[in-house]
Amino acid sequence: MTKHEFMERLTNALKRNGIEDISEIIDEYEQHFAFKMADGFCEAEIAAKLGDPLQLAAQFCGDAPKKAPAGKRVGAIARLCFTGFWAGVFFILLAAWDAVLAACSFGSLAVAAGLLGKLGTWQAIVPMPYGVATVFSAAMVTLCVLMSVGCVYFTAFFRQLIRVYGRFHRNTLSAAAGGPVLPPLAASPNFPPKARRRLRRVALVALCAFAVLTIWAILLAMITSGCLEFWHAWGWFGYAA
Amino acid sequence: MNAQYKKGVLELCVLSLLKQRDCYGYEISDSLSKRIDIADGTVYPILRKLKSDGLLTTYLQEESGGPPRKYYSITKLGREIYERDRAEYLQFAQAIRTLLEDQPDDKA
Repeated sequence: MTKHEFMERLTNALKRNGIEDISEIIDEYEQHFAFKMADGFCEAEIAAKLGDPLQLAAQFCGDAPKKAPAGKRVGAIARLCFTGFWAGVFFILLAAWDAVLAACSFGSLAVAAGLLGKLGTWQAIVPMPYGVATVFSAAMVTLCVLMSVGCVYFTAFFRQLIRVYGRFHRNTLSAAAGGPVLPPLAASPNFPPKARRRLRRVALVALCAFAVLTIWAILLAMITSGCLEFWHAWGWFGYAA
Repeated sequence: MNAQYKKGVLELCVLSLLKQRDCYGYEISDSLSKRIDIADGTVYPILRKLKSDGLLTTYLQEESGGPPRKYYSITKLGREIYERDRAEYLQFAQAIRTLLEDQPDDKA
């Protein structure tokens, strides 16, 4: 088969199959012939190695973008507006929770600094001996670490959720337009294994240290003040002793 | 070897080549047909399908002493799908290999 015959058969078969942009396909095969001939092959060899034009033409079937009816698209957009509204509300709620975690983390650190630094305000609100205050402030530091880890993880989770929703959004529109649908994303954040192990270790250590230090601080406070309800004994939050 | 086996993994092979660098159609056809016994022409329908699925894009680049060549380039989506399908295929191939090699007749 000569190049001319090959091209003619291919073009006719593509036309019969109703393929669009035939010239683009023909160009690729023209180039293929050009490269192979530059390497010293003859037309018949190249055509034989390319394969049967009819079979090749059949392989181009089924990749043409399907035109979706306009109604389907409008329906998809309406659905997305609805889900978008609720997802938006949900995301605001999640962002607020992230802010709460960050504030808790910062707050614990502020309490720890106040207790350790003998700041006047803290002395007035929760008066206690300095020895007890150091243990309490150490407990607060571990709480701050724990909250920070929570905050980091939650932020990553939140980001991933937004990406998941973005993918869903794209897929819905694409499906309505007859385009390809992509695989959905996993909802859990994907930290690199090393970072994930480190985060988990820090969180576990902080949790244990927080539990031990808090119990120790409370016991120490009870022993020092000489009664179970030490907050009454020391007149915390303005309670009279 | 059965042509049906190869067709399924050719898309994966094309993505694998394009993940390393952008290529023009003939380059891909040539480097695949050197390693796998396929008809040279089968790569072009695959390239077109991958492009219409949004895994590849094309651009024209001027070449010295010739018409501009159409280069194929993998998209971000293409990379994502490649990584997923690659892992799936390797796992599958490993399982089949174990299954086929583990013949009791060989040992007897």
